[in-house]
Amino acid sequence: MYPAVGDAVRKEAVRLLSEKKVSAVIGYAAGRRKGSCMPIVVTNAEDAEKLVFSAACVNNLSLYLTKAKKEGPKEGKIGVVVKGCDMKALVGLMGESQLKRENLYLIGVPCVGVLKSVSRPAVPLDSETIAPKCLECDAHLPRGADFVPDAKLPASPETASKYAAEIARLEAMTSPERWAYWKEQFSKCIKCFACRQVCPFCYCEQCLCDRNRPQMIESTPRPSANMMWHIARAMHLAGRCAGCAECERVCPMDIPLNLLNRKMAKELKELYGYEAGLEVCEKGPLNSYTEKDDQSFIK
Amino acid sequence: MHAEKGNREFEPKIMAFVCTWCTYAGADLAGTSRMQYPSNVRVLKFPCTGRIDPVFILKAFQQGADGVLVSGCHPGDCHYISGNFHARRRFAVFRRLIDFMGVDLNRLQFSWVSAAEGGKWVEVVTELTERVRAMGPMREFKDLALEEHWSGAVDTKELKEVYQAI
Repeated sequence: MYPAVGDAVRKEAVRLLSEKKVSAVIGYAAGRRKGSCMPIVVTNAEDAEKLVFSAACVNNLSLYLTKAKKEGPKEGKIGVVVKGCDMKALVGLMGESQLKRENLYLIGVPCVGVLKSVSRPAVPLDSETIAPKCLECDAHLPRGADFVPDAKLPASPETASKYAAEIARLEAMTSPERWAYWKEQFSKCIKCFACRQVCPFCYCEQCLCDRNRPQMIESTPRPSANMMWHIARAMHLAGRCAGCAECERVCPMDIPLNLLNRKMAKELKELYGYEAGLEVCEKGPLNSYTEKDDQSFIK
Repeated sequence: MHAEKGNREFEPKIMAFVCTWCTYAGADLAGTSRMQYPSNVRVLKFPCTGRIDPVFILKAFQQGADGVLVSGCHPGDCHYISGNFHARRRFAVFRRLIDFMGVDLNRLQFSWVSAAEGGKWVEVVTELTERVRAMGPMREFKDLALEEHWSGAVDTKELKEVYQAI
């Protein structure tokens, strides 16, 4: 679906590495199964010929730039291939002083969607196979990139946003009904922490869940510990989550994690007019305040 | 846990997370003025509401609190200048999160009580206690804990099949 985009990305990466403009490029290469893609770090022009882009390029490559991934390239200027959603994560990380813009060379890719799941990576991209996050995307062309291929954007599958409808459905329920819904969802959780490992914003040296003195959140897959973990994680991501929905993709139990994060993003927008990932902010919405903040709920 | 407890009525457990400089002093004033108010409240002292992590509120509910009160200095009066401003934002967001989860927000109360407002402290605590008493014990987290324990009943399809096979 994106062969022209893939060619342009490959050419640019080869050029950057042969001209020694960057020390490494993080991009996607073909995986072993037909049609699958995997992240790759290339450090010379020869390896850069392996870079591709397709609808199976689901990974958020900004993850490998965070301090949580110690194996990621850290020296010199680094090129990275970013979709619109990945760019939002990068913007958020820059705002939190995790990355410097001058150390990055951003290869933006025009994207109309990626696959919901790469269990069958060679399927065509259509309204059934597209990731739900792509239906709400407003960043088909990443802004602020150093290089964007001239390729024409293919037509995006026409389907209504699924998250907004589901959030509205849940908001219309009574409290006990909502508790029952989330209790059922989190009963599936096995505490694998894949959601945490794949999230670019979960870069804490020691996760709150892994502390045992005091132990606020148990790391075992028990019903109350699962509820605590997901509520705490949603709270820690409020105002930061870029909506890349990798957490939802990697969850082995199909828990609707991005639904929760989208709801929090909606609340932050409503309360403080803040949307994550649009521009580099020194202080996030929960790090700053105004004298006139809403306090209608406080006696 | 026992369904039949005879004449024992439900006494709500209320946790109060208060800031040292305003609300704790206000509660102390209520005490020295000998104002009477329900003794269901357990007070935890924090230097500032800005120190209160939403996880503490969750932990309180998980460990059996039926209601939680968070109280601090009025905006502009914080001993640490801006702690309560940060807390205000944090709790506005947290409230919406647990409401979406299905926790009844009537069990969670926020207030500004200054060091001179002993009367207001009494009023806030009494109102929350009576409201929670009318609502009954908080079953949500207790049900999660019970999920782990088998009641002994043969009530799932798999259990019935195994039982029939014996």
